[in-house]
Amino acid sequence: MLLELKDINKTYFGAQPLHVLKGINLSIGRGEFVSIMGASGSGKSTLLNIIGILDNYDSGEYWLDGRLIKDLSEKQAADYRNRMIGFIFQSYNLIGFKTAVENVELPLFYQGIGRRKRHQMAMEYLDRMGLAPWANHFPNEMSGGQKQRVAIARALVTHPDIILADEPTGALDSKTSVEIMDLLGELNREDKMTIIVVTHESGVANAADRIIHISDGVIGSIEQNRDHNAARFGSGDLIK
Amino acid sequence: MKTFFDIDRFKEILDTLSRNRSRTLLTGFGIFWGVFMLLALTGGSQGLKDLLLNNFKGFASNSGFYIPTQTSRPYKGFQRGREWKMDLSDIDAIKAQVPGVDAVAPVGMRWGAVAVYGDRTYDGNFKGITMDYYSIETPKIKFGRPLNQMDMEDERKVCVLGKRPWEELFPGGEDPCGEFVKVGGVFYQVVGVDFSESSISVGAPPDWTITTPLKVFNKLYGKGDEVEFFGFTAKEGWRVKTLFKEVNDILARRHYFDPADDVASVTVNSESIFTMMDNLLKGVDIMILLIGLGTLLAGAIGVSNIMMVTVKERTSEIGIRRAIGATPKMILSQIIKESIVLTLTAGALGIMFTVLILSGAELAATKDGVLTAAFQIKFWTAIGAVAVLTVLGVLAGLAPAMRAMSIKPVDAMRDE
Repeated sequence: MLLELKDINKTYFGAQPLHVLKGINLSIGRGEFVSIMGASGSGKSTLLNIIGILDNYDSGEYWLDGRLIKDLSEKQAADYRNRMIGFIFQSYNLIGFKTAVENVELPLFYQGIGRRKRHQMAMEYLDRMGLAPWANHFPNEMSGGQKQRVAIARALVTHPDIILADEPTGALDSKTSVEIMDLLGELNREDKMTIIVVTHESGVANAADRIIHISDGVIGSIEQNRDHNAARFGSGDLIK
Repeated sequence: MKTFFDIDRFKEILDTLSRNRSRTLLTGFGIFWGVFMLLALTGGSQGLKDLLLNNFKGFASNSGFYIPTQTSRPYKGFQRGREWKMDLSDIDAIKAQVPGVDAVAPVGMRWGAVAVYGDRTYDGNFKGITMDYYSIETPKIKFGRPLNQMDMEDERKVCVLGKRPWEELFPGGEDPCGEFVKVGGVFYQVVGVDFSESSISVGAPPDWTITTPLKVFNKLYGKGDEVEFFGFTAKEGWRVKTLFKEVNDILARRHYFDPADDVASVTVNSESIFTMMDNLLKGVDIMILLIGLGTLLAGAIGVSNIMMVTVKERTSEIGIRRAIGATPKMILSQIIKESIVLTLTAGALGIMFTVLILSGAELAATKDGVLTAAFQIKFWTAIGAVAVLTVLGVLAGLAPAMRAMSIKPVDAMRDE
């Protein structure tokens, strides 16, 4: 297993302590395309943050590629994030004052890779996303779909073990959403990339091979999903 | 490890600074202004000081003048109210008996002496001096030469014109050397023109004066060996005030007046005047330093403030950087380096602007093609300012950078 979660618990201590994750057990193998689905407040984003080493958990064990991810120093966490995980966010999270290609180069910059090499690698991935002509444009000169593809290129450029996508289509229209999900599906099939998508839209979740339903901090059901052509992005929750 | 001058990192810093132009400009202006104020104040005060000191230029700061008047006390059978006069033997006695005096310069002076050249006249001050007088007032020769020992010994009828008599008598601005000027019915050959303009002087300003050897002067007015008054300079390590006492004692003995009689003579002590000036200037220096440092500090605090806001504004950018693999240390060093680059650039511009402004001031202070006051800051002052700025830049960047470092990528990205 590439990724293994054992009895993960997480509580946010505020005015009212909030037990968000109540014993999550989950295994994801290399090359899987998994979606984590749940309503807002179900704990799915917290789970994603823990998987992405952006957040800590209180108890349990999280193994990533044979390494126990627990109590890491900031430096180690940054290094693991950089080398093992590629992030895709709902709001793209591109840096506004950097061009597309510079955004894609940034993770490589933090790896200490030289400029020429960096540029060449970034261009390669932008080209794969069909964005080579847009390399020198700034994010605010691009459409939502293009921005998300730049973000995907940035996630891929370090050859990570996992792509983590947090509501990747949340800010896109339905036609573009289909394109982005198709792109992720293609990456999974052709490059054997492990992809985890967090969403509340069943149409998006439907693109994955396995759908993990989470509600109130526990995993409700896990559903195998082989028929990706069922009504996608149909009318609300009635689809499938 | 990567060093500061790693081109890649440097480019990253320059990109960040240059692509957030208004933010950079605002911050930079704070520093620019701080530097400009500090250096302009330093240079300006230095120039003003020079202008002020120009008034005293060419006048010995360790000199005293002694002028005999009337006694106010009866002494050794003499009644009070007696006028007494000195002669050249007194000067010799002082030279011989007071070890602390360096030069002793007897002077004869006439106000309202009329000098005539052709159909032009000049109504001013006529002064007889010996060579010693040049130790007290240094001449600034424009044409010809000052008076010399031969003029004195041979009692030549020669004179040196001050600036005004030269302008009045020779309005064409020509070299008057060799021409004859008539004063009090006697012709004197002009040997030089003295441009000294010191505002401090005893008797009359040097630029109003025509000078001639004392013996020639005394002959013209039939004064024999009389000395109207004299000036002296103190040797290294002697106070003018103490010398006055010794000089007064000798003269009191020779001319039979009470040495404690303060009214029997008038004394002018340039040393005390210069000491006062010195203290005043030192006070001004300290004040300007305080104002300048205050301005610079205020600028640095302002920059730190702007940086703070900037970091807040950049929360999401920093969050993204953290998410894709930047360590807190990398963020910290980037922010501090941005701060240093910004401070140094703005500081350098501040220095350039100051140099430009001060050059303008120097241009305005140039008279007759001669620089009268040095406003320009020194090279090392500028280097020192840059060093101070670098330290301030690091300090200014530190607080915001610490804050940026504590940003968690999760929080940052939820900030949308």
